[in-house]
Amino acid sequence: MRIKYGSLLLLLGLVFVFAACDDEDYNVPEGVRNLTNDCIKRSLGPNVVGNEIAFAYAMALPPDLGNLSSVRVEASIAGASGTYLEHRSFYTHNGGIVPSTGEVREGGADIGIVVGAPSVTNGKVTEVTFVKDTCAATLRYYYVIPETAKGQSVTFQFSATASNGQSVSYNMGPYEVGKIEMKREIVLTNNSYFSISDFEVYDETQAAANPDKIDLVYLYRTPFAGINFGHALVSPGADSEFLPGVTLPQGVNNQTYIRKDSGSRDQHLARDRYGIFVDDVDLYEIDLSTQPFYSIGLQNESGAWIETADGKYRAYLYVNLVDNAAGTMTVSVKRLLIE
Amino acid sequence: MKTNYRYMKNFIFTLIISFVAVSLIRCTEYPIDEDGLLITGRADCYISNFELLGSDHQIVRSGAAAIDTTELTVDVLVLYGTDLKNLYPQFTLAQDAKLDPKVVGKVDFSDLDNPKQYTVVSGNRKVRKTYTVNVSVQQKQ
Repeated sequence: MRIKYGSLLLLLGLVFVFAACDDEDYNVPEGVRNLTNDCIKRSLGPNVVGNEIAFAYAMALPPDLGNLSSVRVEASIAGASGTYLEHRSFYTHNGGIVPSTGEVREGGADIGIVVGAPSVTNGKVTEVTFVKDTCAATLRYYYVIPETAKGQSVTFQFSATASNGQSVSYNMGPYEVGKIEMKREIVLTNNSYFSISDFEVYDETQAAANPDKIDLVYLYRTPFAGINFGHALVSPGADSEFLPGVTLPQGVNNQTYIRKDSGSRDQHLARDRYGIFVDDVDLYEIDLSTQPFYSIGLQNESGAWIETADGKYRAYLYVNLVDNAAGTMTVSVKRLLIE
Repeated sequence: MKTNYRYMKNFIFTLIISFVAVSLIRCTEYPIDEDGLLITGRADCYISNFELLGSDHQIVRSGAAAIDTTELTVDVLVLYGTDLKNLYPQFTLAQDAKLDPKVVGKVDFSDLDNPKQYTVVSGNRKVRKTYTVNVSVQQKQ
């Protein structure tokens, strides 16, 4: 009995072996025989006026069919100054000498190879004309979000043409642009006055001339009377206890709500550090009505949520740098007009 | 065949008895309270540590909190300028104990004349001790 089973098993095994050994013809699949393209969005986070939306647009055709001639990007809303299309195609370096420049670079470095003339932007359209004979390239496009795009959506059409007359295009978007406004690296000097409504820093004389605009007073005090005051943002309308040594100009008395926050480090304001983005909805929804009129002891990388006395603006302020020696604080601010 | 049947009968009987015994032990020894927490045999009822965080979730106390388990008080001094309306208290309790009321968000400690009170309930839920949290703000010297 055992022998019979053994034979059957052997027979089955042989059947499988012969079945598996049948030769099948294999042909290398034919590559694409025309101009093709692809695109990805490289930048992350909410779209804020003044910030960039970055893309990488790739195009290629078989070498025997010709070369790339030109690339064109058309945005539905003309980009702000600084919008451009790279005329270099980038690759990731393996380390060692870079053939195109002769310099030594570490592995992983982003190396650009010039393939076209610098881009020309005319209204909504940005173009690059190829100057090198190349059949494949990936060009980066940086769209600086203009003021006119605030609260709207923007779309992009990327297109490429080849020397054989073929052309392709790729649509990206729509992308919603927030209503948030942003200003980075504002330097506050000791005892200066800051306005959320116009992002301006005023001295005492200027503050006296614009009392309604003054939302905050910036102070730096070394430890005194047993307390650590440090760097502080104080509403002019706060208890005078929190404005030591400050004589406010006549009429400067706004009561601005401030909530200290060390956890919401916005990537836009912190210059590409951290993975948090403050968006329109954050500023719309936050309730600051029970918050105090001051925030003392601000440090590097801390922040504060702010609401102006008239309730017109809410803002998130990020502290880029405090300088104890100079008595200054560099801040970046995102604000939203509450309608 | 008869022997097999008897073994099977005994086996099922033992299984049922074991199941009932386990169920009874489970129901009597480890009851659950209204919050879904285990009621244990522990009668310990005290606060072992107290922390106070500001709106930015950073510690605002100046020095360690003084916990008096006889007087049932927690005295804590907070830094100058601390906003007492928006604080997040954190209690560390005796093992298996729980707090009433629960801390579910920011707490307003600004009414210094009527300090907040929290009751610690022991693990066996039979001992309750109400602590008073006295917050004071560091003043200029």
